[in-house]
Formats: sequence, structure tokens, C-alpha cells
Amino acid sequence: MAELTRPSPDAGTPGDVVLEVRDLAKSYPVRRGVVLKRTVGQVQAVDGVNLTLRRGRTLGLVGESGSGKSTLARVLVGIERPTRGAVLVDGQDVSTMSRAERKHLRRSVQMVFQDPYTSLNPRMSVAEIVGEPFRIHPDAVPAGGRRRAVAELLELVGLDPDHANRYPHQFSGGQRQRIGVARALAVKPRVLVCDEPVSALDVSVQGQVINLLEDLQDELGLSYLFIAHDLAVVRHIADEVAVMYLGRVVEQGVGPTVYEAASHPYTRALLSAVPVPDPGAAAASRPLLLEGDPPSPADPPSGCRFHTRCWLAHQIGAARANCADGDAGSVPERCRTQDPALLPPDAPSAPARPDEETGPAPEHVAACHFADLVPGGAPDTSSRTSTSTSTSMGADS
Amino acid sequence: MTTSVPVDVRDRESEDTGDTGPRDVGETLLEVDDLAVEFRGDDGVVRAVDGLGYRVVAGRTLALVGESGCGKSVSSLAVMGLLPPAARVTRGSARFRGTDLLALPPARHREHCGRHVAMVFQDALAALNPVHTVGYQLTEALRARTGASRRDARRRAVELLDLVKVPHAAQRVHEYPHQFSGGMRQRVMIASALALDPDVLIADEPTTALDVTVQAQVMQLLAEIQAERNMGLVLITHDLGVVAGVADDVTVMYAGRAVEQAPVRELYEAPAHPYTRALLRSVPRLAGGGTDADGRLPVVPGRPPAPGRVPSGCAFHPRCDLARDVCRTDVPPLAEAAPGRSSACHFSAEVLGGARG
Repeated sequence: MAELTRPSPDAGTPGDVVLEVRDLAKSYPVRRGVVLKRTVGQVQAVDGVNLTLRRGRTLGLVGESGSGKSTLARVLVGIERPTRGAVLVDGQDVSTMSRAERKHLRRSVQMVFQDPYTSLNPRMSVAEIVGEPFRIHPDAVPAGGRRRAVAELLELVGLDPDHANRYPHQFSGGQRQRIGVARALAVKPRVLVCDEPVSALDVSVQGQVINLLEDLQDELGLSYLFIAHDLAVVRHIADEVAVMYLGRVVEQGVGPTVYEAASHPYTRALLSAVPVPDPGAAAASRPLLLEGDPPSPADPPSGCRFHTRCWLAHQIGAARANCADGDAGSVPERCRTQDPALLPPDAPSAPARPDEETGPAPEHVAACHFADLVPGGAPDTSSRTSTSTSTSMGADS
Repeated sequence: MTTSVPVDVRDRESEDTGDTGPRDVGETLLEVDDLAVEFRGDDGVVRAVDGLGYRVVAGRTLALVGESGCGKSVSSLAVMGLLPPAARVTRGSARFRGTDLLALPPARHREHCGRHVAMVFQDALAALNPVHTVGYQLTEALRARTGASRRDARRRAVELLDLVKVPHAAQRVHEYPHQFSGGMRQRVMIASALALDPDVLIADEPTTALDVTVQAQVMQLLAEIQAERNMGLVLITHDLGVVAGVADDVTVMYAGRAVEQAPVRELYEAPAHPYTRALLRSVPRLAGGGTDADGRLPVVPGRPPAPGRVPSGCAFHPRCDLARDVCRTDVPPLAEAAPGRSSACHFSAEVLGGARG
């Protein structure tokens, strides 16, 4: 156990930046034709993302499907190569490294996959699955100690080491996800990229896996990039949250700020769409319904990418139309033409966080021209906390 | 919208029993009683559903809540007559307006369900046929049951897509399922279930594969359609958040049995079964909090039993913090815990009292 609980020798101190993403972009060509393929366009899956992950911390990444969060994860662990931008591990740019150096660094960033049913090879025993990373990184554990290392890993994630010779189908979903975590931890990474690690699990089991991840973080000083569409789970586990929409980060900040004083209309809509397990609050609150699906990343809208579905832009547009100032469009021109930058919102309600590092990045940024017009406080989320059911039901259905 | 149905499907049912006619508010449409379903497999007989009963009322939504393997989907497949060959109903009844569907010969059973009870499946991509247009699939049932002409069927398909708010319905009926996004596919599934104006709609995890934003849209759509048509809706789900928003009544299932039945507000306010209580506690809250003193998520220890390995006595006892000797030996019956609600726990009064106190 002792060997595993000690992270890599160059682990550094808490708060150090372990992983940094600078202006990262990944695009895929769209090809037409069967024999003579020609490129007819580009899908910008990730487009200019900056993220910083500190040691021992968890960064939550949320967004709808197609927002680019999984592509970002794949770039981070080296499954995909970025089209632009840099991934820095411990301040070193991965793309400028030699193959050998890259392989060594890649050990530091490992991934836990979403579906514990398809991400484990059904023909390999648990010992083979968990020990497979040693074949790729033989220097992680000396050859003689691998069997013991596997047993320790299984114990670490709460599985019985005596079950090492069983096969994945003999385990439940939650146990399989533990196997996936054990495999990711085998080469002693410092960063775990968790892509929707609990969304395939039963509610009563989700908590067990989340608690395991939190325990491992405390014990091993791990940093997590936690990708999920379940905002409630992210709220629980993440110190910082980044919200993605169509390949861009539209809002980012420390957890409580983003959840309690969301400044981007998209974040607001996401938060209000989360079902609340309280019939009283559910009846009282009306979700800000977004219309339709996200537009195709192959042809993102001009200006602010969210303007086609933005409730705030439509409200502002409608208000201006009433004033009859001649603005014909229902969406303000600025939203249609200018790409908003990630800036601190002018919301004075954002609580100061003296315990935060005084890094160059502000604590809370949002990419919206009208972030200051997003209603202050968070009436939706705060009313949702109350368990009072005294709210009048009105005429239900 | 219903008034513009080109072919009134009810015309052809005159020879049928007296189970037609408009739905009255509060009328019991479907009554499932003491349902038991068994699977025969290599390891012998496995009981997936054991003594389940519930009532679907016009204009109300019943949520069947439980984790994977609790029998919530199997029970509805049994009602629909869609069980796989290895499974069979061994006991119980499912009365639709007095007619026991389970006692009908298979062909009559399917016909009856085709007219009155429709189902929306979880995975819309798997449930739609990739080689037929959406319009064709929407009206397949309509054409088979009513003999509507192609032209009428096409017009009806456009109406149905309009009803579920698929934009540009007139063009989109000619498209194929892969051209639709996940949320739009689920709308198509709902539209096809509504094609024959069913009395009861069973929706099996209709939003599980969808984003939260799209989930909110689809749930609102279901609620609107249900209210408008005074339909009975059965929502099968594991998501207690969704249930709180749309359900009127809740049946919580565990290991093939109903462990608690109550109106939604009472259930959330004061659960009467330890499993319900544990489930409610383990839902992460968006507003923060909901954690124990160490900031950890409260969890239900262990995991749901696999069908066929159900513990003796109360199936929940190995995971229950209240379990005593009697729980290991005696199966607690589903009994009244308070007016209008029942719980299958030897100590339901204690659970209920603890939650209220």
C-alpha cells in the first residue's frame, strides 16, 4: 500500500498547476465523396479553450452533448492531437517533446471512461485489465512486483483482491467502474480525466463511486478533470467549474460563484433545467427552457455562438423592439456579430474568496455581452434549496 | 389537435367491449394487480416481478421508480404483451377498463394494447427502424389498425410531428431517424405512441439518454400532452428529480416488489420505507448541501440484488440501517402506513415517524 499511496516523486505542493491548456483547438475535417474524398468543411469540436488544473483540486467541465467536452478529454490524455494550442503538464508543452518524453509524461494523465460496460475487455481478467498499463509503462512498477501492485490497486478502490481472476461480467456496474479507476491509477498518475464516470450507474451506487474518487484524491493528492452533464454531481465534487458550449468555455469560476451567481444565460438555463428532487420547489420554479438542440459545430452561429437559443438576447431584443428604435432583429446586433470575450461579470454579488490563490486568472469569468443584465443572485437555485412545501400549488396540470 | 384526426380510430371498435369512450378525470384506466413475471434461464427460474400492483388514472401521472433490475421495465413489458420468450407471467392481472389484458390470447392482447396502451422506449435510436422514413414509422400502426390510406397517413404524420413540436414537420416526415438529434428522435417516439390516441402511455426512461436541457423540453411536452388529452401516464424512471417535477403518484420498486406507494408530495416529505428514504438522501443536490458531516455523499451501502439472488425476508435488509431479526426472515407485506399510502416495511411507522419528527 505504501508504495501506491505515495504519488510520483515530483508531485510538488498543493496548489501547483499540474495541467494547463492554452488556446486549445481540435477540428475534424468533414469529407464528402466515396472514392475521391474532398474536405468540404471543418467541425470545430474544441475552439480556443484555456483551462488550469491545480494539484489536489477538481475542475468540473459541464455542457450539453456536442459541446466538445469529451474531445477535450481525449486531447488531454493523448488519444487525439490538438489542431492548435498547447497542453502543458507541469509547465512543459507536450507537443514539443520527443516521443519518449511524451510517453513518460502521459503516465501523469490517465482517464476513467464513461461506460463501465464497454470500456473493459470482456475477455480479460480483472488482473489483466488492471495490470495492462504496466506493459505500456514498464518502469511504473518493477516486473516482480506487478501482481502485488494489482492486488493493492484493487484494495485501494474497495474491491476484494481475491477476485483478481474474475472477469468483468461477474461484477456490477459500480464495481466495474472501480476496476476502471484501478486501471487508471496503475501507473501512478497525477491527473485523472474522468469522462462521465457515474452517469451509467444507479443512483444509490453513484455516491459510492464519487466518495471513492474523493477519498483517493485526499489520499494520493490527485487532480481531477471531472466531465459530467449532471450539474448536481459536479457541484458536489468540483472546486472549479467550466461550462462549455459549442467548443468554447462560456463561463468559468469557483464552484459556489458559478452555481449561485451564474452570469452566462446558458449556465442559467442549464442550472434551471436540472430536475429538483422536491415536488414543492419543482412546482414553484419554471425552467428557462432552451429551444431546440445545439447548432451543428460544423457551422457555428456568428457572433456569440449561443445567440440562436439565448433567452436573454431574445428578451433584450423584444424590449428594444417595444421601444421602437428600429432594431429589426429579435436579437441584439452585438450578439449576432461580435464574439464575446471571457471577462469578469460586473456582478457585485460574486463573493470574494480570500483563500484563493492570487493567480493571473480572475475567479469568475463569463463570455456574454450582457452578463451584467443576467438577473442577480440566483432566484431559481436559491428557491430550490428550500424544502418548504408551503408554496401554493396552483392548478396543477 | 385531436379533433382533426382524419380517421377516427374509435369507429372501428364498435364491436369491441364497452371499453371505449372519452376518458373522465379520475377514471381508473389500467389496474395491475399481484403481477408476477418469471424468467427461465440456465440458472433456473428467476422471479423478476413479484406481486406488483398499481393503478393508472386518467389525467394523472404514476411514476414507477427503482434501480436497474428492480423489475420496473419488465412489469410494463408484461402489461404490453412484449415480454421476451424466456419470460412469462405466472400470476396476476392487468385490467384495462375491466378487460384483463393478460388473460387475452396474444394477438388480441397486442391489438388491445395497440389501441389503448402505448409505450415510449428509452433508446429512441434503437427503437426506430433506420431504413424507413420517420413518416412511415409514425403511421405504421395507424395504417395497420385502421386501414387509413397513404395520403391520410402522411397528413396524420405531419400533424403528429407538429404536435410534438418538431420544426418543419412537413419536410421532416420524409427524413430518416439518423437525421434527427437525440431529443428529436424521442419526440418522434412520443408522436408514434400517440398515433392512435392511447388512453394510457407508458414511458420507459424517456429522457435518460438526453441532455438536461433537452430532458426538460421532453418532460414538459409529455406533461402538456397528458393534460390536454386527459391521458393516464406511467413514467418509468430512476431519477427522483424528474419524478418530483411531473408525477402525481409514486410506486417505488425494489427487487421485483413495490416497497412504497404514495402521492408524490407525501413521499418526498416523509418517506415510509427505508429504501425510499435512502434513495432520496443519495440524490446529489444542485443547491449544495445534502451531504453528511464529512462532506461526503450519503450512500446506500451495497448494491441492488441481482434478480434470482434476492435475500430472504425483506429484500432490502442487507442494505438497511433499521434491519432487525424479523427482517431477515419475514417478507413484510405492502400495508397501509398512513391514509392513502402504503409501505412494505416491518417498521414503516417508525420510518414515517422519524421522517416527520
